Amino acid sequence: MDFKKRLRQPSSKQLKAAVAILVPLFILLIPLHWIPIPGLTVVEQRVIAIFFAAALLWVLEPIPIYATSILVIFLELLLISDTALLPFREGPPESFGELMHYKDIMATLASPIILLFLGGFFLAIAATKYGLDVQLAAVLLRPFGAKPNTVMLGLMSITALFSMFMSNTAATAMMLSILSPILREVDRQDRGRVALVLAIPFAANIGGLGTPIGSPPNAIGLNYINLSFGQWMLFAVPFVVLILLASWLVLRRLFPFEMKEIRLKVPGKPRSNFKTRAVYITFGATILLWLTDVLHGINSYTIALVPVAVFLVLNIINKEDLKQISWEVLWLVSGGIALGLAMERTGLAAHLVHSIDFSGLTPALMVLLVGTVALVMANFMSHTATANLLLPIVSALGVSLPRLAEWGGSGAIVLMTTFACSLGMSLPISTPPNALAHATGEVNVPDMTKAGVLIGVIGLVLFFLMLLGMNQFGFFAHI
Amino acid sequence: MEKIFLLCIEDQREVLNAVVEDLAIFEEAFPIEECESVAEAITVIEDIYDAGLHLAVVISDHVMPDKNGIDFLVELHQDERFRATKKMLLTGLATHADTINAINNAAIDRYIAKPWDKEMLQGYVRKLLTEYILESGIDYQPYLKWLDQDTLYQKLRKY
Repeated sequence: MDFKKRLRQPSSKQLKAAVAILVPLFILLIPLHWIPIPGLTVVEQRVIAIFFAAALLWVLEPIPIYATSILVIFLELLLISDTALLPFREGPPESFGELMHYKDIMATLASPIILLFLGGFFLAIAATKYGLDVQLAAVLLRPFGAKPNTVMLGLMSITALFSMFMSNTAATAMMLSILSPILREVDRQDRGRVALVLAIPFAANIGGLGTPIGSPPNAIGLNYINLSFGQWMLFAVPFVVLILLASWLVLRRLFPFEMKEIRLKVPGKPRSNFKTRAVYITFGATILLWLTDVLHGINSYTIALVPVAVFLVLNIINKEDLKQISWEVLWLVSGGIALGLAMERTGLAAHLVHSIDFSGLTPALMVLLVGTVALVMANFMSHTATANLLLPIVSALGVSLPRLAEWGGSGAIVLMTTFACSLGMSLPISTPPNALAHATGEVNVPDMTKAGVLIGVIGLVLFFLMLLGMNQFGFFAHI
Repeated sequence: MEKIFLLCIEDQREVLNAVVEDLAIFEEAFPIEECESVAEAITVIEDIYDAGLHLAVVISDHVMPDKNGIDFLVELHQDERFRATKKMLLTGLATHADTINAINNAAIDRYIAKPWDKEMLQGYVRKLLTEYILESGIDYQPYLKWLDQDTLYQKLRKY
């Protein structure tokens, strides 16, 4: 047939890729003094070019977002490291700047934060392999009864709980698989269907905030603020509970139930064999160790290797399971860390922030402003990519502005940005959980947007108030 | 979006049209190649391979003048290049021995008897497409609208 013709369809990808190549190339080639940042060095100019390449690639997505991350690391090695191409190693001595050590750039692929996530992946893979997720869901859902509103609360609580330890997408997929057979029995006209289907991705996005390993943006945030697992959960879990309740109320109000009763059937038969018990015990012990680091002194990153070691030693995770690890998520985060490292080490982040006049903004307004920017961006692009792009700049902003100190300094503004990144959930493209919910055909885009924007804004304001409170109690003085 | 093809082989034009019509719901994302003989199908799959594109599902009739469908599917199964391709037999005229051959040597993924049920055909193709995309590591997100939810959930739960 017209097979050959079909191959020649023009693609918008190529145009996007061209923009993402040409703009950074232009920045790389222009004379240094064209860029209006005082004190800028040649090395910093190259970092700006890499930053623009990353930003355009992450926003336009002509290539997968994890590919962009690896490209960031590769370009840094080629352009700004001490193993760079020879012509790039020297320049005018007065304005050249410092090259980075190549080992520091490569080390981002195995940074402690990456290993923390690897530990989280091991927990999640073992839990799903031995069916712990389904068994737990079956047990935990029971007390929520059969009233639609309480069942929805139950679904949301369990989704959020799961997504604290497994990926938001996996938590959503697992809970939607529990919900979808029941939906087939519910009246098509009932608006409550929308509430139930939206409750799951929203709870997954929100629950991801609960622990450092819940969602990749948290990892990027942790790169700029030194918090233990327990310190993170201390404020994140109460926030998750509050915003979950708020979302529940919003969904009830927007999409009221007509159905009187809904019965979930979870086919989870508890298993009891050595390996299943070992998974339960290791899971519990790891969390316990994470929360008690003050007592034993081992940091969160090292504890993350407990499940890795135990599961491999006991052959609970075998070499086939190892191939299931989402390397693309780890590398996506690595690229973000590498980008931030380059901006900080070369001095670009500081130069950039000093060249912008923030004097018109009060600290509180600034925190709200960056939160809003992050929230808006996260609605249209990957949450992790948003964090990758914004956090290096925001963190520099926090460190270099003395007025922010009274407001919790860099810590508060970094946390605001990190949390705002996970609150973007108003469109199917905002997050994979949203996309899955939309694909059920139960939710149209306006409904998702209405609820998602409302919850995003409530979350932003609520977290802002929470930061105020945390600052009052001296939280940021102790970290 | 990657180019992912469906392929139908059926020597009777009107039957071929009926199959393609039933699968029209996938056409927007997954172009359907129509072949009236095994020989034609072989040229098309070679073209698809040469162009570096995906062949997700092959739906083949059994009794055809040039070569029978099961023999073709057995060869396809042994072809390393199309290991991931899903195979479906759509026939009313396969003997017991043919069927055994199809299962054991072609490892067919689905068998549908003629006359077929439209919904069943669509459901199977949807499932097989989903499996192909997930197993081949293709980003499933652009195709969500056409994929089978349950298959997707079972696979994504594992990540």
